[in-house]
Amino acid sequence: MTALLEIRNVETFYGPIMALRGVSLEVQKGQVVTVLGANGAGKTTLLKTISGIMDPEKGQILFEGTDIAGWEPHRVVRAGIVHVPEGREVFPLLTVEENLALGAYTRSDRAEVSRDRDLVFSYFPILAERRRQEAGTLSGGQQQMLAIGRGLMLRPKLMLLDEPSLGLSPLLTQEIFGILRRLNKDEGVTMMVVEQNAAVALDLADQGYVLELGRIVLSGSAERLAASEDIQSFYLGHANEGARGERRWKRRKTWR
Amino acid sequence: MTRHEAIPQQETVKGVSINAVPGTRPVLVDGCDTISALFRLRCAQDPGRLAHREKTLGIWRAFTWGDYWAHAKWIGLGLRRLGLRRGEVVQILSEDRKEWLYADQGIQGVGGIASGVYTTDSSAQLAYILQDSACRFLILENEEQLDKFLEIPDGAPGVEKVIILDDEGLHDLHDERFLFLPELYDLGKREEAEHPGAFEAEIDKARPDDVALLIYTSGTTGPPKGAMLTHENILLSMQAGLRELSVEPGSEQLCFLPLCHIFERGNSVYFPMAARSVVNFAESPETVFENLREVSPHTFSAVPRVWEKVFSRVTILAQEATWSGRMAYGLAMKAGFARADAAAAGRPMGIGLRLAVALAEAAVFRNLRQLLGLDRLRQGISGAAPISPALLRWYHAIGVPVCEGYGMTENAATCTVNRLHEARLGTVGRAMPGVELRIAPDGEIQSRSLANFKGYLNLPDKTAESYSADGWLRTGDIGRLEDGWLTITGRLKDIIITAGGKNITPAEIESRLKFSHYIADAVVIGDRRKFLTALIMIDQENVERFAQDNRVPFSDFASLCRAQPVQDLIRAEVDAVNREFARVEQIKDFRLIDVLLTAEDDELTATMKLKRSFVEKKHKALIDDMYR
Repeated sequence: MTALLEIRNVETFYGPIMALRGVSLEVQKGQVVTVLGANGAGKTTLLKTISGIMDPEKGQILFEGTDIAGWEPHRVVRAGIVHVPEGREVFPLLTVEENLALGAYTRSDRAEVSRDRDLVFSYFPILAERRRQEAGTLSGGQQQMLAIGRGLMLRPKLMLLDEPSLGLSPLLTQEIFGILRRLNKDEGVTMMVVEQNAAVALDLADQGYVLELGRIVLSGSAERLAASEDIQSFYLGHANEGARGERRWKRRKTWR
Repeated sequence: MTRHEAIPQQETVKGVSINAVPGTRPVLVDGCDTISALFRLRCAQDPGRLAHREKTLGIWRAFTWGDYWAHAKWIGLGLRRLGLRRGEVVQILSEDRKEWLYADQGIQGVGGIASGVYTTDSSAQLAYILQDSACRFLILENEEQLDKFLEIPDGAPGVEKVIILDDEGLHDLHDERFLFLPELYDLGKREEAEHPGAFEAEIDKARPDDVALLIYTSGTTGPPKGAMLTHENILLSMQAGLRELSVEPGSEQLCFLPLCHIFERGNSVYFPMAARSVVNFAESPETVFENLREVSPHTFSAVPRVWEKVFSRVTILAQEATWSGRMAYGLAMKAGFARADAAAAGRPMGIGLRLAVALAEAAVFRNLRQLLGLDRLRQGISGAAPISPALLRWYHAIGVPVCEGYGMTENAATCTVNRLHEARLGTVGRAMPGVELRIAPDGEIQSRSLANFKGYLNLPDKTAESYSADGWLRTGDIGRLEDGWLTITGRLKDIIITAGGKNITPAEIESRLKFSHYIADAVVIGDRRKFLTALIMIDQENVERFAQDNRVPFSDFASLCRAQPVQDLIRAEVDAVNREFARVEQIKDFRLIDVLLTAEDDELTATMKLKRSFVEKKHKALIDDMYR
């Protein structure tokens, strides 16, 4: 089976700074793949490179077998990839409904679009309640839901989610990831989730990659990653207190 | 010195008087017959002189011989007040820093034996060394190392006091058994106030054949062995260093390899003491290249891994340069290699070549050396593992004279070296002054000199085994000696006898493999087997670059190793090496070690070499797979 998305040896630069130093990964249809990493690891750059906001200097991005590297973002969207950006980025002065309508901008099948809007409302009932409210007046969690909903309106083949948990309370994070799980299980939405919150991300994902300084240092099934000692101490916060019960130093990462 | 009946004739080298005839006794450096006496002399001669620098909060701070003396004295007297007796071992578990030197000289000053433990050692290894050396006083660096000590299951009951250098994160630690360095200094100051001149008196008690330091050598089989080196061993090593290395008064050096290893210990503690050069401590093993640039040392001694890394960086930079940059680099290298070859052959350079070299120097090499921090380098030394002659030739080409040397803990790393103007690539040079060499009938290299060690602690049998019946040190290495030039071919005990009965020295094949930019290290296997195979550790940086350039997708290290093009790449490298060897010596199959090994792993020595026995054990499944 060929992968829905296959990234090969992608290198992306910010001017002279190499943000992605040769990244290769795969997303199979129907899977949730998570990319973990600290600040500045290159996670957002990776998503931006896929969605065409940034162009890779090198490498291929194969989406359903077609190399989409360097395509303009609107072409990438039409190909079926939607990017839910970091920090939500809803249109604050437009209403919830208008935001959702913009998500379906590329579609012309009105009946289907309206069905999909109902679907979004069924997953996010709060959005239905506030359909005529300006998006800027929603809470952070609701804006995140709207951003995801807006992405769904495209009926994407692949959804790129950039830190959906950012700035949300633990409870809201749980709720949103619960909804993402249902969207994946029930609607078959393929997702690539970039996260700093490794616990929720690994719980949701089938496969995971750890990005560090623009390179993948560890990859494997979500279970395998969750069991890795490095992931536990650096991403899941399982502290080994040491002999004195108050250890402060960190052991060196080995990524295995 | 009045205690010697006759003083052998002395001569002055770099302003230091040493035995005119190397190998005569007593071995004297500026009239001193022990390290401690020389230390005292150096500090008294010029207490305001710069001794070393250390970076604190981003600023290089300077320390004088006077600081060195005061702190060492306090540590020595403090330990004495705690109950340290002459001849007892004190262990130091710390990264390189100035306090390492203070402890070394303090301990030796009061007649103790200074020994270091690698910071990468496990808690079990630490426990073994503490017990083996009957250590009552342990000096450790910080919280991380303290936790390692506390993890010792039986609590290391022999250790009475633990002195901690860095109190960060340990303010809540209140325990009779632990004290912080300032407290030890206070004890030392009190001791000095009560017994003025006590440190000097202790120094005077030292004899040249007293053991001054204990160096644990990584046993490839069994636990590590503590090699005992005397004051005299080290003084002979200093004399050889003064004669053969370009350490000079005031020259700058960088200290970054573990000080528990004889290579860095000699380079950063004893040679500077003899020559009065300045030691700069690298901030951490990760910042060596930045620190190198900041310090721009006059002499730089490193293991081949470091020289290889510098080379890789330059190669990558050159590849990424603009078209004109690449052209300039290519042309300059051509001229550089021609210069290096002419110098090696002792041929004068023609006018055309001289012009090309001048151009290359002005356009490329000068900047390159500056970029690397090697612009002031008079001499680089590579030791502790074999280095590729091709790599040495590259360094000669860019105008960085790197000389390969050879030595081991058991001869205080004083054996052979290539000289600046007298070098032969592929050899480890000629014997250092005061060292005699011979090749035993079985091919083993044996050496005799006053630098040869006193023996292994608690291991009389092993000590006896390490010397021949007529008192020559059995190095365990095999090699050839041609007009005094020594070439190492392998380890005696690593000789593989194949099922066909053929004797093979794997090191020869392994070092050929390692000369490939893509292979970091290799272990050849085949003892009592039908054919030879190899386990190979790839060079991550260069192989990743290869994969990127050739669009080979990979994610983590394991997937890089699995990638077919990478396997093919290494196979091509192996095939190229195979062509240089006879049929029975050819490698029929290989496997890549797909975990990225770190210094904490058992499979690697502190100098990042693969340890045969551990590798064979840990990767047995891979090996069996090749012989299925």
